Amino acid sequence: MSELSARHATPGRLVAISITLLVLLSPFLWLLQMSFKSNDQILQFPPPLIFTPTLENYISLWHSAFSASFVNSLLSASLSTALALLCGVPAAYALSRWAGSGKHGLSFAILVTRMAPPIAFTIPFFLFYRWIGLLDTITGLVLVYTSFNLPLVIWMMQPFFDTVPISLEEAALVDGARTRTVFTKIVLPMVTPGIAATAILCFLYAWNDFFFALILTRTNARTAPVAVVNFMNYEGWEWGKIAAGGSLVMAPVLIFSLAVRRYLVSGLTAGAVKG
Amino acid sequence: MNQGGIDGERRAFIAFALTPSLIVLFAVAVLPAIYLVVTSLTPFQLTAPGSATDFGAPLRNYGLLPGDPRFVNSLAVQAKLSFWGVLFQVLLGMLLALLLNVPSRFVEFARTFFLIPMVLPPIVVAVIWKLIYTPDISPLYYAAQALHFTLPALTSSVDFALTAIIIADTWEWLPFTFLMVLAALQTIPDEYSEAALVDGANRLQIFWYVTLPFITPILVISGMFRLIDSVKAFPLIFLLTSGGPGTVTEVTNYYAYLLAFDTNEIGYSSAVTVVMLLLVAGISLGLVWMGRRREAMA
Repeated sequence: MSELSARHATPGRLVAISITLLVLLSPFLWLLQMSFKSNDQILQFPPPLIFTPTLENYISLWHSAFSASFVNSLLSASLSTALALLCGVPAAYALSRWAGSGKHGLSFAILVTRMAPPIAFTIPFFLFYRWIGLLDTITGLVLVYTSFNLPLVIWMMQPFFDTVPISLEEAALVDGARTRTVFTKIVLPMVTPGIAATAILCFLYAWNDFFFALILTRTNARTAPVAVVNFMNYEGWEWGKIAAGGSLVMAPVLIFSLAVRRYLVSGLTAGAVKG
Repeated sequence: MNQGGIDGERRAFIAFALTPSLIVLFAVAVLPAIYLVVTSLTPFQLTAPGSATDFGAPLRNYGLLPGDPRFVNSLAVQAKLSFWGVLFQVLLGMLLALLLNVPSRFVEFARTFFLIPMVLPPIVVAVIWKLIYTPDISPLYYAAQALHFTLPALTSSVDFALTAIIIADTWEWLPFTFLMVLAALQTIPDEYSEAALVDGANRLQIFWYVTLPFITPILVISGMFRLIDSVKAFPLIFLLTSGGPGTVTEVTNYYAYLLAFDTNEIGYSSAVTVVMLLLVAGISLGLVWMGRRREAMA
């Protein structure tokens, strides 16, 4: 019967898949190979497909202000992830165990925060930061990233808590354990994989941000994505540095997203459909 | 019985666990939203003292919107971008999912690589397409030159600029619809198509009568997701066209950005943003409603 099946990995199909993959990824591969070319090689026509790779673009980035902005990105993304997890994980547990009527209302509120276009947050945050002096600070970025990471944590973690059998908790409670102890000693260890996946997604969302960082930072807290764009300046575009910077910005993303591939869809659609 | 005591303690713990999130969400989401609405009722300009608290004509900004050609144009541009983007992403995502829906170790391995454009930082996606659309160094222009064919400047042409954005946006988000459709395809039991084959149906008929009805809901849902998120194409527009040439690629999001952070019209920009927010919330509500109805039917 499998001979008849429409779902069959024929050689023709494998070739089609390989070609499609190559075509789809070629723009990405082009940026990557460019980051290992010298300026002369970049401008050469026709472009050399075989060349001696050089690390000069990466080395000059290392010695430039780019490295500081890379650290800013790391800091703001990790701190906002930590803050969102710290608040959001207990909240997700509470929502999972709470059968109250406010549950749907809260879920909808969370949905709206996830769906709102960034500009809706940027204007008020910009005005407020200007007033209290949080413009161009890591703290300012961490707070604004929490506005989209906290809902993500609550949304992602709730199903994980739902899978922990309530009878397990009840048994411990009857034995005299306190709710807090049950949560930290029994429930949390069971959802560790979920916390890891959620943490990575939070990190990626904050890491990928361009819009907030563009408007809310200048030089002190400038993040790597904004720094890459700054290589496109009036004196001419430094394509080697742009390519190397872009490759560095996407490196952690590629590594991490492979790790959480299974959770990508729920992370990307967080806050919708299942109200 | 000690049951009441345990329940009381549990309830207290649940409240305690929710409180920090509620406080933070209030501070970083509810307050900014209120502030945005308040600002939209004023003629706020950073350079005009006192304008932030001038509530003399609260609905003035909203009254100006229908007569503002750039605002009306921006809605039309967004509609075009969203419509074509979503259409291509859903169709191509479906084709890709159909192609990759085969039981094979290699294909499973390859699937991961198809997801790359979606997870890349949006600004890197924009840089990649800037590279492709910049004649001097673009592989696309090299190829055209090698074939003795002259490509027009894509991102600065009135006719092609929006198409260039749509192509880049489709490249970025195709993996998303692909992933959703593939997940749906894998829930279809093999028996259906095998039974249809035995009955003499051809590939096209199986697709039309067996596969398509199965995946239609997921096509609609993933399309809705993309529709809502299509207002976030900011990095592409920022880097590729800056809304130009003229206002050909100026979506509402970008117009609001220019108003607030380029021309200092913060009050008016807030009003534009509030209208945009209401539109997005309306679509999101529809999505939730559809999701609930599906759950109720299931």
